[in-house]
Amino acid sequence: MQCAWDAFLGLLPLWMRREVDERGRTSLQELRLRSKQPPELVLGKESFWLSRPASPEDLAFVVNSASRYSPWTAATSAQGYITGPGGHRVGLCGEAVLTDGVLAGLRSYHSLCLRVARDFPGIAGQAGKETGSILILGSPGSGKTTLLRDLIRQRSGRCPGSVAVVDERGELFPQSGQEPCFSQGPRTDILTGCPKSQGVEMVLRTMGPSCIAVDEITAEEDCHALTQAGWCGVKLLATAHATSKEDLFSRNVYKPLVEKDLFDLLLVMSPDKTWRMERMRTWN
Amino acid sequence: MELKWMGALLIIAGCGGFGFTLAANHRREERALRQLIAALDYMACELQYRLTPLPELCRQAGRESDGCIGTVLVTLAEELEDQISPDVSTCMLAALRKSKDVPSVAEGCLRSLGGSLGRFDLEGQIKGLESVRANCRRELESLSRNKEERLRSYQTLSLCAGAALAILFL
Repeated sequence: MQCAWDAFLGLLPLWMRREVDERGRTSLQELRLRSKQPPELVLGKESFWLSRPASPEDLAFVVNSASRYSPWTAATSAQGYITGPGGHRVGLCGEAVLTDGVLAGLRSYHSLCLRVARDFPGIAGQAGKETGSILILGSPGSGKTTLLRDLIRQRSGRCPGSVAVVDERGELFPQSGQEPCFSQGPRTDILTGCPKSQGVEMVLRTMGPSCIAVDEITAEEDCHALTQAGWCGVKLLATAHATSKEDLFSRNVYKPLVEKDLFDLLLVMSPDKTWRMERMRTWN
Repeated sequence: MELKWMGALLIIAGCGGFGFTLAANHRREERALRQLIAALDYMACELQYRLTPLPELCRQAGRESDGCIGTVLVTLAEELEDQISPDVSTCMLAALRKSKDVPSVAEGCLRSLGGSLGRFDLEGQIKGLESVRANCRRELESLSRNKEERLRSYQTLSLCAGAALAILFL
């Protein structure tokens, strides 16, 4: 298992670092900070609370560290999250600011959810040997991104041609300074911070990939871009929020993907982070 | 008798030295403000076109600048990278504590820069930099007004005061 743990500790206020390090180094999944309440360490199936409550200043500290004191680089805060150094995602909740009815950001923070990014090389197992397009399904926190990362790495090492990754959130292959936190594979090209729909078109035109990977398809334009790429003969690796094949089929947003038979394989994640492989069938 | 003359010379030299130091400080203050304005110009351009994160921005601006301003900005970048202070103004105070030879007017401008950095989106940040830059320009103008006459009078007055004291003691 690999994890940019020091980068995670660097996000936290000084008084919290030692205890979080002692209790969570190997098993912390999430750290939840709520203003004026003790921080909650989510360690697998159980939780542990620190004794001292987190102050609003502590929450502001975490947001400042995650954005590296640069709110202009954290445009995603208007979408409710910031990806910090090491790929650790900080989910934000607080008082929203609207400009002309559009969410512009958060004025103050009431709760934060820090999710630890960990890498488990080799977890893709048999699925890593498949050469077709693969869609990973799972609920939030089930390990979709971790599995996708390993699939990308394995495919990059096995298949001829390159794998282009459109890493909109910077969570798949985060950097710590100038160094990549996780191994990327020998033929992986990574476009970070670009919206998926634009990024897929961009890498398709410019990088000549044999495979394109994206994390968390959530919008129709993402599906449209993937469909275009699929028609160009490029293999796809992607993740989507759905708990089963039936769940996927019932969602309108994923209809184009299912109807056009873009994916050959489904990997369905369970809440305990294991997965099973299913062959994709057409919609009708 | 010789001792008397030596004492008189020392008094004149001491008073004159005070005047010359005042003049030198004035020039140092002016130089630091010019360096700071140049650094702010660099930061605004870099931000507008590359959206550089603050630690890198300060480090680059520090490397581009000369003298004490460059040192403060590089130290500020280190403070930001250490991630032990809750906000940029605290990091700036720590950086100023570590860099002791910053002239007082430039230090005031750097403090106000620390108060404006890292709190706004891009547009707000550019405006914040402009406001600090305008403040620096005002300070620079007030320092430059009648500069030559003022500096000459510091030096002349101090020498005259020294001479007057020496005559009194003799």
